[in-house]
Amino acid sequence: MNTNMDEKLLNLLADQATVGLSEEEARQLDELLGSADDGLDVQSFELAAAAIALAEMNFEPMPASLEAKLARSAEGYLATANSDDGIHDQPTQAFRWEEPKASRSFFDWFGWAAAAMACIALAITFFYSQNRINELSRKLEQLTPKPTQEETLAQKRDRLKAAGAEITRAEWTKGNVKETEIVQGEVVWSDAKQEGYMTFRGLPVNDPNLQAYQLWIFEDAKLEEFPKDGGVFNVTANGEVIVPIDAKLRTLDPKAFAVTIEKPGGVVRSDRSKIALLAPVKPSTT
Amino acid sequence: MKVDALLTDIGILGIADVVIGSSFTYRWINGRNSGKLLGNNLNLVVNQSILQRIAAGDQPAVQECLKSYGGLVWSLARRMLRNQDDAEDAVQEIFLDVWKNAGRFDPAQASETTFVAMIARRRLIDKIRHTQRRISADSIDDVLAEPSTRDDKVMQTNVEAREAAKALDQLRPEQRQVLQLSIVHGLSHQEIADSMGMPLGTVKTHARRGIIQVREILGVGGSTGAKEVSV
Repeated sequence: MNTNMDEKLLNLLADQATVGLSEEEARQLDELLGSADDGLDVQSFELAAAAIALAEMNFEPMPASLEAKLARSAEGYLATANSDDGIHDQPTQAFRWEEPKASRSFFDWFGWAAAAMACIALAITFFYSQNRINELSRKLEQLTPKPTQEETLAQKRDRLKAAGAEITRAEWTKGNVKETEIVQGEVVWSDAKQEGYMTFRGLPVNDPNLQAYQLWIFEDAKLEEFPKDGGVFNVTANGEVIVPIDAKLRTLDPKAFAVTIEKPGGVVRSDRSKIALLAPVKPSTT
Repeated sequence: MKVDALLTDIGILGIADVVIGSSFTYRWINGRNSGKLLGNNLNLVVNQSILQRIAAGDQPAVQECLKSYGGLVWSLARRMLRNQDDAEDAVQEIFLDVWKNAGRFDPAQASETTFVAMIARRRLIDKIRHTQRRISADSIDDVLAEPSTRDDKVMQTNVEAREAAKALDQLRPEQRQVLQLSIVHGLSHQEIADSMGMPLGTVKTHARRGIIQVREILGVGGSTGAKEVSV
């Protein structure tokens, strides 16, 4: 290591490699690098961090669906890149995830010619047979399947509840916050689907700039010190509110759920000073 | 060519230790012949690495890159982002970055695996920093329990991973923990401070001194101790 390296520069390079830099820090780093020793290899910090990441990595195969999607994109990558001069120096957004483009050939030309002929034929048909086209359009519209509407949260919750015995259910009870004492509702969770929903009636609307609700999932009946994070959420309307559970880790056989009031964005570890609600799972309900 | 079979034998991460050139070269780190394992088995000339081939416009190499590093990139993304959808988005962006930066890979600086991991980490850090909500919010117990499970396959096939593991073991326990939480799990300095009940300044000091020490031990990037030699 070059002992003449400025300490500030070292710190910034170390931070960049471990946790990244803010825009201001990145600007400072650029300035310092401008006057730094030419022999300094700035990438070496990131390479060291990458090696640590590899050393501590638990290898996990990529999902087949993602692999297939990437493979399709890879097929056309160089063709797309080469058709756009200087693509390797362009921002990432320059390449879009699209199906590969076919190369130009006689068949392309033939295709364009055929398309042009079809357009002319269509125009003639349009000119002479407007009513006929309208009729065909109506028939086509009837035959075309309409896109299915996305399930509402209530529908998703009800579908999950319909799964029956395998579902964990618990009812909300009061915590240590006065404003949430009257809240009612329940939480449902499926181990198999790793999916769950919270239903609240009367949970106060929160100011997302000041605080947020956060769900915690306990898998130990003794309420372990470090429960699993079930996601951060805001309540924006009065009345019944349904919130999907966003478990960060695989969750099995939960024994209790708790909602705490935390700072916006949530916390890694709650001090449990504001427990809005608790939902212990009764053995008979599992 | 037997190279493909050899690379398959080496495993998904092993190719990175094959250094490219007109003759077979191997990596020399801290005076130890880390490439010996491969050198003993490799009696043929290896032409170009996957990334060098991509940079040269070799389309099949783009697919090979996916096959070789898909698991690696996915594993890093899952560990740092946790959320499956975010990880899938990130992996797609990372591979674009990798392909786009293929020409910048320099086998004299690091193995191809480490280079790919570096590109992946850049994108993952960027994603974490631009997400309002911190994604990795595991309990500290869960997080600290994980590092003991080093992946044998990775350790067997990637020289730098092995060296990094040794380097980590030489650090003070607090430094090691801070580096694991930040680098492996993507936690910010503030989150680590909150989780470990440690002053923020102390966390930063541990992280900085730790990574500087690991960098020195590894001798990556052409700094003291890192050399490439031809045989």
